[in-house]
Amino acid sequence: MKIAIISDIHSNIEALHAVLRKIDKEKVDVIVNLGDIVGYNASPDECVTEIRKCEAISVSGNHDSAVHDLTARESFNVFANQAIRWSHFKLSKENKDFLKKLPLLSIVWDRFIACHGTLKSNDSYIVKPFQARRMFNIMRKEYQRINICFFGHTHRQAVWSRDVRGKVKQLKLNENPIHLNPEEMYLINPGSVGQPRQNDWRASFLTFEPEEAKITFYSVPYDLYKAQQKILKAELPSFLAERLAEGV
Amino acid sequence: MEIVAKEGKLKNGTIVTIRPMVKGDADALVKFFKSLPDDLLLFVRHNVRDESVVRSWAENLDYKRVFPLLAIVENKIVADVTLHRVPFGWKRHLGKVRIVVSPEYQKLGLATLMLNEIVDLAAEFGLEKLWAEVPLDSRGAIAAFRNAGFSCKAVIEDLIKDKEGRNADILIMICDVAAHYDQ
Repeated sequence: MKIAIISDIHSNIEALHAVLRKIDKEKVDVIVNLGDIVGYNASPDECVTEIRKCEAISVSGNHDSAVHDLTARESFNVFANQAIRWSHFKLSKENKDFLKKLPLLSIVWDRFIACHGTLKSNDSYIVKPFQARRMFNIMRKEYQRINICFFGHTHRQAVWSRDVRGKVKQLKLNENPIHLNPEEMYLINPGSVGQPRQNDWRASFLTFEPEEAKITFYSVPYDLYKAQQKILKAELPSFLAERLAEGV
Repeated sequence: MEIVAKEGKLKNGTIVTIRPMVKGDADALVKFFKSLPDDLLLFVRHNVRDESVVRSWAENLDYKRVFPLLAIVENKIVADVTLHRVPFGWKRHLGKVRIVVSPEYQKLGLATLMLNEIVDLAAEFGLEKLWAEVPLDSRGAIAAFRNAGFSCKAVIEDLIKDKEGRNADILIMICDVAAHYDQ
Protein backbone atom coordinates (compact mmCIF):
# COMPACT_ATOMS: atom_id res chain seq x y z
CA MET A 1 0.00 0.00 0.00
CA LYS A 2 1.14 3.53 -0.79
CA ILE A 3 -0.17 6.53 1.12
CA ALA A 4 0.38 10.15 0.11
CA ILE A 5 0.74 12.56 3.02
CA ILE A 6 -0.03 16.16 2.12
CA SER A 7 -0.32 19.24 4.31
CA ASP A 8 -0.79 23.01 4.33
CA ILE A 9 -2.41 23.40 0.92
CA HIS A 10 -3.45 26.93 1.90
CA SER A 11 -5.83 27.66 -0.97
CA ASN A 12 -3.18 27.12 -3.64
CA ILE A 13 -5.08 25.12 -6.25
CA GLU A 14 -2.24 25.29 -8.79
CA ALA A 15 0.10 23.59 -6.32
CA LEU A 16 -2.58 21.09 -5.26
CA HIS A 17 -3.31 20.08 -8.85
CA ALA A 18 0.41 19.55 -9.53
CA VAL A 19 0.73 17.41 -6.41
CA LEU A 20 -2.39 15.38 -7.25
CA ARG A 21 -1.02 14.70 -10.74
CA LYS A 22 2.23 13.42 -9.21
CA ILE A 23 0.28 11.35 -6.67
CA ASP A 24 -1.65 9.82 -9.54
CA LYS A 25 1.57 8.90 -11.33
CA GLU A 26 2.96 7.33 -8.17
CA LYS A 27 -0.11 5.07 -7.96
CA VAL A 28 -1.04 6.07 -4.45
CA ASP A 29 -3.92 4.23 -2.77
CA VAL A 30 -4.97 6.77 -0.17
CA ILE A 31 -4.34 10.48 0.51
CA VAL A 32 -4.00 11.78 4.03
CA ASN A 33 -4.33 15.55 4.42
CA LEU A 34 -2.83 17.08 7.57
CA GLY A 35 -4.88 20.26 7.52
CA ASP A 36 -4.84 23.94 6.57
CA ILE A 37 -6.61 23.47 3.26
CA VAL A 38 -7.47 27.18 3.33
CA GLY A 39 -5.81 30.49 4.25
CA TYR A 40 -3.20 32.78 2.65
CA ASN A 41 -3.78 32.10 -1.07
CA ALA A 42 -6.63 32.77 -3.45
CA SER A 43 -8.47 29.49 -4.18
CA PRO A 44 -10.01 28.30 -0.90
CA ASP A 45 -13.26 26.91 -2.28
CA GLU A 46 -11.57 25.07 -5.16
CA CYS A 47 -9.07 23.43 -2.79
CA VAL A 48 -11.71 22.21 -0.33
CA THR A 49 -13.80 20.87 -3.22
CA GLU A 50 -10.77 19.04 -4.63
CA ILE A 51 -9.89 17.49 -1.26
CA ARG A 52 -13.48 16.34 -0.82
CA LYS A 53 -13.45 14.91 -4.35
CA CYS A 54 -10.34 12.81 -3.77
CA GLU A 55 -11.77 11.54 -0.46
CA ALA A 56 -8.62 12.33 1.48
CA ILE A 57 -8.53 11.41 5.15
CA SER A 58 -8.34 14.90 6.62
CA VAL A 59 -7.68 16.63 9.92
CA SER A 60 -8.28 20.24 10.83
CA GLY A 61 -5.58 22.90 10.66
CA ASN A 62 -5.65 26.18 12.57
CA HIS A 63 -6.68 28.08 9.41
CA ASP A 64 -9.47 25.58 8.75
CA SER A 65 -10.72 26.15 12.33
CA ALA A 66 -10.43 29.92 11.97
CA VAL A 67 -12.93 29.97 9.10
CA HIS A 68 -15.69 29.49 11.66
CA ASP A 69 -13.92 30.45 14.88
CA LEU A 70 -13.70 34.23 15.28
CA THR A 71 -11.54 34.04 18.40
CA ALA A 72 -8.93 31.91 16.64
CA ARG A 73 -8.98 34.30 13.70
CA GLU A 74 -8.29 37.32 15.91
CA SER A 75 -5.08 35.70 17.14
CA PHE A 76 -3.76 35.56 13.56
CA ASN A 77 -1.28 38.16 12.35
CA VAL A 78 -2.47 40.91 9.98
CA PHE A 79 -1.73 38.96 6.78
CA ALA A 80 -3.19 35.64 7.89
CA ASN A 81 -6.16 37.44 9.42
CA GLN A 82 -6.92 39.30 6.21
CA ALA A 83 -6.65 36.15 4.11
CA ILE A 84 -8.90 34.06 6.35
CA ARG A 85 -11.59 36.76 6.48
CA TRP A 86 -11.48 36.83 2.68
CA SER A 87 -11.65 33.01 2.53
CA HIS A 88 -14.72 33.04 4.76
CA PHE A 89 -16.63 34.94 2.08
CA LYS A 90 -15.33 32.79 -0.77
CA LEU A 91 -16.18 29.38 0.69
CA SER A 92 -19.49 27.71 -0.10
CA LYS A 93 -21.68 26.66 2.82
CA GLU A 94 -21.01 22.95 2.11
CA ASN A 95 -17.27 23.50 2.13
CA LYS A 96 -17.43 25.55 5.34
CA ASP A 97 -19.45 22.75 6.94
CA PHE A 98 -16.88 20.23 5.75
CA LEU A 99 -14.07 22.24 7.40
CA LYS A 100 -16.07 22.59 10.60
CA LYS A 101 -16.49 18.84 10.94
CA LEU A 102 -12.82 17.95 10.52
CA PRO A 103 -11.26 16.22 13.57
CA LEU A 104 -8.15 17.56 15.29
CA LEU A 105 -6.36 14.28 14.82
CA SER A 106 -6.94 10.94 13.18
CA ILE A 107 -5.57 7.51 13.97
CA VAL A 108 -5.30 5.82 10.60
CA TRP A 109 -5.78 2.03 10.58
CA ASP A 110 -4.08 1.81 13.98
CA ARG A 111 -0.81 2.34 12.06
CA PHE A 112 -0.08 6.04 12.41
CA ILE A 113 -1.43 9.32 13.73
CA ALA A 114 -2.25 12.30 11.50
CA CYS A 115 -2.42 15.76 13.09
CA HIS A 116 -1.79 19.35 12.04
CA GLY A 117 0.34 21.08 14.69
CA THR A 118 0.84 18.66 17.55
CA LEU A 119 -1.15 15.89 19.20
CA LYS A 120 -2.71 18.44 21.54
CA SER A 121 -3.36 21.49 19.38
CA ASN A 122 -3.59 22.45 15.74
CA ASP A 123 -1.87 25.75 16.51
CA SER A 124 1.36 24.68 18.18
CA TYR A 125 4.59 23.66 16.52
CA ILE A 126 7.19 20.91 16.53
CA VAL A 127 10.44 22.64 15.62
CA LYS A 128 12.59 22.27 18.72
CA PRO A 129 13.95 19.07 20.32
CA PHE A 130 12.00 19.70 23.54
CA GLN A 131 8.78 19.94 21.54
CA ALA A 132 9.52 16.68 19.71
CA ARG A 133 10.46 14.99 22.99
CA ARG A 134 7.17 16.09 24.50
CA MET A 135 5.22 14.66 21.56
CA PHE A 136 7.04 11.33 21.79
CA ASN A 137 6.17 11.18 25.51
CA ILE A 138 2.49 11.77 24.71
CA MET A 139 2.60 9.07 22.04
CA ARG A 140 4.16 6.59 24.48
CA LYS A 141 1.56 7.31 27.14
CA GLU A 142 -1.60 7.72 25.07
CA TYR A 143 -1.00 5.86 21.81
CA GLN A 144 1.17 2.94 22.86
CA ARG A 145 0.70 0.81 19.76
CA ILE A 146 1.64 3.57 17.35
CA ASN A 147 5.18 4.67 16.53
CA ILE A 148 4.60 7.15 13.69
CA CYS A 149 2.91 10.54 13.75
CA PHE A 150 2.62 12.74 10.67
CA PHE A 151 2.28 16.46 11.38
CA GLY A 152 2.33 19.73 9.42
CA HIS A 153 1.95 23.41 10.34
CA THR A 154 5.63 24.42 10.06
CA HIS A 155 5.61 24.19 6.23
CA ARG A 156 9.00 22.46 6.37
CA GLN A 157 9.89 18.86 5.71
CA ALA A 158 11.22 17.18 8.85
CA VAL A 159 11.79 13.79 10.41
CA TRP A 160 12.30 13.45 14.15
CA SER A 161 13.21 10.08 15.64
CA ARG A 162 13.30 8.62 19.13
CA ASP A 163 15.44 5.53 19.52
CA VAL A 164 14.96 2.72 22.05
CA ARG A 165 17.23 4.50 24.54
CA GLY A 166 14.99 7.58 24.37
CA LYS A 167 17.40 9.74 22.38
CA VAL A 168 15.53 12.26 20.24
CA LYS A 169 17.09 13.72 17.11
CA GLN A 170 16.11 15.46 13.90
CA LEU A 171 17.31 13.48 10.90
CA LYS A 172 19.22 15.18 8.11
CA LEU A 173 17.20 14.72 4.95
CA ASN A 174 20.17 13.81 2.75
CA GLU A 175 18.76 10.47 1.75
CA ASN A 176 15.52 9.98 -0.09
CA PRO A 177 13.71 7.62 0.41
CA ILE A 178 14.18 7.14 4.14
CA HIS A 179 13.80 3.67 5.63
CA LEU A 180 12.22 3.79 9.08
CA ASN A 181 13.38 1.52 11.88
CA PRO A 182 10.29 -0.31 13.26
CA GLU A 183 11.80 -0.17 16.76
CA GLU A 184 12.04 3.61 16.74
CA MET A 185 9.36 6.29 16.96
CA TYR A 186 8.94 9.02 14.35
CA LEU A 187 7.40 12.47 13.91
CA ILE A 188 7.31 13.25 10.21
CA ASN A 189 6.40 16.46 8.40
CA PRO A 190 5.79 16.32 4.62
CA GLY A 191 6.28 20.10 4.15
CA SER A 192 3.67 22.31 2.56
CA VAL A 193 1.80 21.91 -0.72
CA GLY A 194 0.69 25.52 -1.09
CA GLN A 195 3.17 27.66 0.83
CA PRO A 196 6.51 25.90 1.37
CA ARG A 197 8.88 27.70 3.74
CA GLN A 198 12.18 25.94 3.13
CA ASN A 199 13.61 28.30 0.54
CA ASP A 200 12.25 26.14 -2.28
CA TRP A 201 9.07 27.29 -3.98
CA ARG A 202 8.03 23.84 -5.18
CA ALA A 203 5.06 22.04 -3.61
CA SER A 204 6.11 19.43 -1.04
CA PHE A 205 4.53 16.16 0.01
CA LEU A 206 5.61 12.61 0.82
CA THR A 207 4.55 9.04 0.26
CA PHE A 208 4.52 6.40 3.00
CA GLU A 209 4.71 2.69 2.30
CA PRO A 210 3.92 0.99 5.63
CA GLU A 211 4.88 -2.57 4.57
CA GLU A 212 8.37 -1.42 3.64
CA ALA A 213 8.50 1.21 6.41
CA LYS A 214 9.60 3.71 3.77
CA ILE A 215 8.92 7.41 3.25
CA THR A 216 9.79 9.36 0.10
CA PHE A 217 9.76 13.15 -0.11
CA TYR A 218 8.71 14.94 -3.29
CA SER A 219 9.04 18.55 -4.45
CA VAL A 220 6.82 19.34 -7.40
CA PRO A 221 6.92 22.44 -9.66
CA TYR A 222 3.60 24.15 -10.32
CA ASP A 223 2.22 27.24 -12.09
CA LEU A 224 3.58 29.74 -9.58
CA TYR A 225 2.86 32.79 -11.74
CA LYS A 226 -0.83 31.91 -12.01
CA ALA A 227 -1.11 31.40 -8.24
CA GLN A 228 0.57 34.77 -7.63
CA GLN A 229 -1.63 36.60 -10.13
CA LYS A 230 -4.74 35.22 -8.44
CA ILE A 231 -3.56 36.58 -5.08
CA LEU A 232 -2.96 40.03 -6.54
CA LYS A 233 -6.26 40.01 -8.43
CA ALA A 234 -8.07 39.10 -5.22
CA GLU A 235 -6.37 42.11 -3.57
CA LEU A 236 -4.92 39.91 -0.89
CA PRO A 237 -1.62 41.26 0.55
CA SER A 238 1.04 41.26 -2.19
CA PHE A 239 3.51 39.86 0.34
CA LEU A 240 1.58 36.57 0.11
CA ALA A 241 2.32 36.40 -3.62
CA GLU A 242 5.99 37.36 -3.23
CA ARG A 243 6.67 34.80 -0.54
CA LEU A 244 5.51 31.93 -2.77
CA ALA A 245 8.38 32.58 -5.17
CA GLU A 246 10.90 32.75 -2.36
CA GLY A 247 9.65 29.68 -0.53
CA VAL A 248 9.34 31.51 2.79
CA MET B 1 -9.11 45.15 0.43
CA GLU B 2 -6.18 47.48 -0.14
CA ILE B 3 -4.89 48.05 3.37
CA VAL B 4 -4.16 45.03 5.52
CA ALA B 5 -5.35 45.67 9.07
CA LYS B 6 -6.70 44.10 12.21
CA GLU B 7 -8.08 45.41 15.47
CA GLY B 8 -6.89 45.02 19.03
CA LYS B 9 -8.27 46.09 22.40
CA LEU B 10 -6.28 47.88 25.09
CA LYS B 11 -6.67 47.47 28.86
CA ASN B 12 -8.92 50.56 29.05
CA GLY B 13 -11.17 49.25 26.28
CA THR B 14 -9.76 51.46 23.51
CA ILE B 15 -9.86 49.77 20.12
CA VAL B 16 -6.67 50.17 18.09
CA THR B 17 -6.13 49.36 14.45
CA ILE B 18 -2.87 47.57 13.75
CA ARG B 19 -1.51 47.57 10.25
CA PRO B 20 1.69 47.83 8.23
CA MET B 21 2.76 51.35 7.30
CA VAL B 22 1.85 52.46 3.78
CA LYS B 23 3.01 55.43 1.68
CA GLY B 24 0.01 57.53 2.69
CA ASP B 25 1.03 57.43 6.36
CA ALA B 26 3.83 60.00 5.99
CA ASP B 27 1.86 62.99 7.38
CA ALA B 28 0.45 61.04 10.32
CA LEU B 29 3.87 59.63 11.14
CA VAL B 30 5.47 63.08 11.04
CA LYS B 31 2.80 64.26 13.50
CA PHE B 32 3.37 61.21 15.71
CA PHE B 33 7.10 61.77 16.01
CA LYS B 34 6.67 65.52 16.56
CA SER B 35 4.32 64.78 19.46
CA LEU B 36 6.84 62.60 21.30
CA PRO B 37 9.00 63.90 24.16
CA ASP B 38 12.76 64.19 23.66
CA ASP B 39 13.63 61.31 25.99
CA LEU B 40 11.57 58.86 23.90
CA LEU B 41 13.21 59.94 20.68
CA LEU B 42 16.61 59.24 22.17
CA PHE B 43 16.12 55.57 21.28
CA VAL B 44 15.38 56.30 17.63
CA ARG B 45 18.39 56.15 15.35
CA HIS B 46 17.32 58.94 12.99
CA ASN B 47 16.30 62.54 13.41
CA VAL B 48 12.58 61.88 13.01
CA ARG B 49 11.69 65.48 13.76
CA ASP B 50 13.11 66.18 10.30
CA GLU B 51 10.06 65.67 8.07
CA SER B 52 12.18 64.74 5.07
CA VAL B 53 13.53 61.70 6.96
CA VAL B 54 10.05 60.35 7.68
CA ARG B 55 8.76 61.15 4.19
CA SER B 56 11.71 59.34 2.66
CA TRP B 57 10.83 56.24 4.75
CA ALA B 58 7.27 56.36 3.44
CA GLU B 59 8.44 56.83 -0.14
CA ASN B 60 10.96 54.00 -0.02
CA LEU B 61 9.06 51.36 1.90
CA ASP B 62 10.66 47.95 1.52
CA TYR B 63 9.02 45.41 3.83
CA LYS B 64 11.81 42.92 3.18
CA ARG B 65 14.34 45.30 4.72
CA VAL B 66 12.29 47.12 7.37
CA PHE B 67 8.76 46.11 8.23
CA PRO B 68 6.97 49.00 10.03
CA LEU B 69 3.77 48.24 11.91
CA LEU B 70 1.57 51.07 13.17
CA ALA B 71 -1.09 51.31 15.88
CA ILE B 72 -3.81 53.80 15.04
CA VAL B 73 -6.57 55.28 17.19
CA GLU B 74 -9.06 57.61 15.53
CA ASN B 75 -6.77 58.25 12.55
CA LYS B 76 -3.87 59.11 14.83
CA ILE B 77 -0.71 57.00 15.02
CA VAL B 78 -0.07 56.06 18.65
CA ALA B 79 2.72 53.50 18.29
CA ASP B 80 5.28 52.38 15.76
CA VAL B 81 7.17 49.10 15.87
CA THR B 82 9.74 48.18 13.24
CA LEU B 83 11.27 44.85 12.33
CA HIS B 84 14.69 45.25 10.72
CA ARG B 85 16.03 42.41 8.64
CA VAL B 86 19.39 41.48 7.17
CA PRO B 87 18.95 39.85 3.74
CA PHE B 88 22.23 37.91 3.59
CA GLY B 89 24.94 36.43 5.77
CA TRP B 90 25.09 34.94 9.22
CA LYS B 91 22.32 37.15 10.59
CA ARG B 92 19.80 36.45 7.84
CA HIS B 93 17.58 34.50 10.26
CA LEU B 94 17.54 37.36 12.79
CA GLY B 95 15.32 40.41 13.10
CA LYS B 96 15.94 43.51 15.17
CA VAL B 97 12.90 45.06 16.82
CA ARG B 98 12.41 48.71 17.80
CA ILE B 99 9.27 50.18 19.31
CA VAL B 100 8.01 53.66 20.17
CA VAL B 101 4.70 54.14 21.98
CA SER B 102 3.07 57.50 22.58
CA PRO B 103 3.23 58.33 26.35
CA GLU B 104 -0.56 58.61 26.65
CA TYR B 105 -0.89 55.00 25.40
CA GLN B 106 1.78 53.49 27.61
CA LYS B 107 0.86 51.03 30.39
CA LEU B 108 -2.27 49.98 28.47
CA GLY B 109 -0.83 46.80 26.96
CA LEU B 110 -0.26 48.42 23.56
CA ALA B 111 3.46 47.64 23.42
CA THR B 112 2.78 43.99 24.26
CA LEU B 113 0.03 43.84 21.64
CA MET B 114 2.32 45.28 18.97
CA LEU B 115 5.27 43.10 19.95
CA ASN B 116 3.13 39.95 19.91
CA GLU B 117 2.06 40.88 16.40
CA ILE B 118 5.63 41.47 15.26
CA VAL B 119 6.76 38.11 16.72
CA ASP B 120 3.95 36.40 14.81
CA LEU B 121 4.95 38.22 11.64
CA ALA B 122 8.60 37.30 12.20
CA ALA B 123 7.52 33.65 12.14
CA GLU B 124 5.69 34.35 8.86
CA PHE B 125 8.84 35.88 7.41
CA GLY B 126 10.84 32.79 8.37
CA LEU B 127 12.90 34.55 11.04
CA GLU B 128 14.14 32.41 13.91
CA LYS B 129 15.21 34.91 16.53
CA LEU B 130 14.47 38.51 17.35
CA TRP B 131 16.87 40.91 18.98
CA ALA B 132 15.99 44.03 20.97
CA GLU B 133 18.09 46.57 22.83
CA VAL B 134 16.39 48.23 25.78
CA PRO B 135 17.82 50.75 28.27
CA LEU B 136 18.18 48.88 31.55
CA ASP B 137 16.10 51.42 33.47
CA SER B 138 13.10 51.20 31.07
CA ARG B 139 11.09 48.86 33.22
CA GLY B 140 7.92 49.25 31.20
CA ALA B 141 9.64 48.40 27.94
CA ILE B 142 11.40 45.40 29.48
CA ALA B 143 8.07 44.12 30.82
CA ALA B 144 6.43 44.51 27.40
CA PHE B 145 9.23 42.63 25.64
CA ARG B 146 9.10 39.88 28.27
CA ASN B 147 5.33 39.58 27.86
CA ALA B 148 5.89 39.09 24.13
CA GLY B 149 8.32 36.21 24.69
CA PHE B 150 11.66 38.01 24.83
CA SER B 151 14.14 37.07 27.54
CA CYS B 152 17.04 39.01 29.01
CA LYS B 153 20.38 37.80 27.64
CA ALA B 154 23.04 40.37 28.47
CA VAL B 155 23.65 43.74 30.02
CA ILE B 156 26.31 45.94 28.51
CA GLU B 157 27.34 48.56 31.01
CA ASP B 158 27.78 52.21 30.09
CA LEU B 159 27.18 51.55 26.41
CA ILE B 160 24.67 54.26 25.58
CA LYS B 161 24.37 57.93 26.44
CA ASP B 162 21.28 59.66 27.79
CA LYS B 163 20.31 63.15 26.68
CA GLU B 164 22.50 64.72 29.35
CA GLY B 165 25.49 62.79 28.00
CA ARG B 166 25.67 60.35 30.89
CA ASN B 167 26.52 56.76 30.10
CA ALA B 168 23.81 54.18 30.72
CA ASP B 169 23.45 50.40 30.60
CA ILE B 170 21.70 48.55 27.83
CA LEU B 171 19.89 45.23 28.04
CA ILE B 172 19.98 42.79 25.13
CA MET B 173 16.75 40.80 24.85
CA ILE B 174 16.16 37.84 22.52
CA CYS B 175 12.99 36.10 21.42
CA ASP B 176 13.23 32.55 20.12
CA VAL B 177 10.40 32.78 17.61
CA ALA B 178 9.78 29.05 17.26
CA ALA B 179 9.81 28.39 20.99
CA HIS B 180 7.48 31.34 21.52
CA TYR B 181 4.71 29.37 19.87
CA ASP B 182 5.13 26.43 22.17
CA GLN B 183 1.91 25.65 24.00
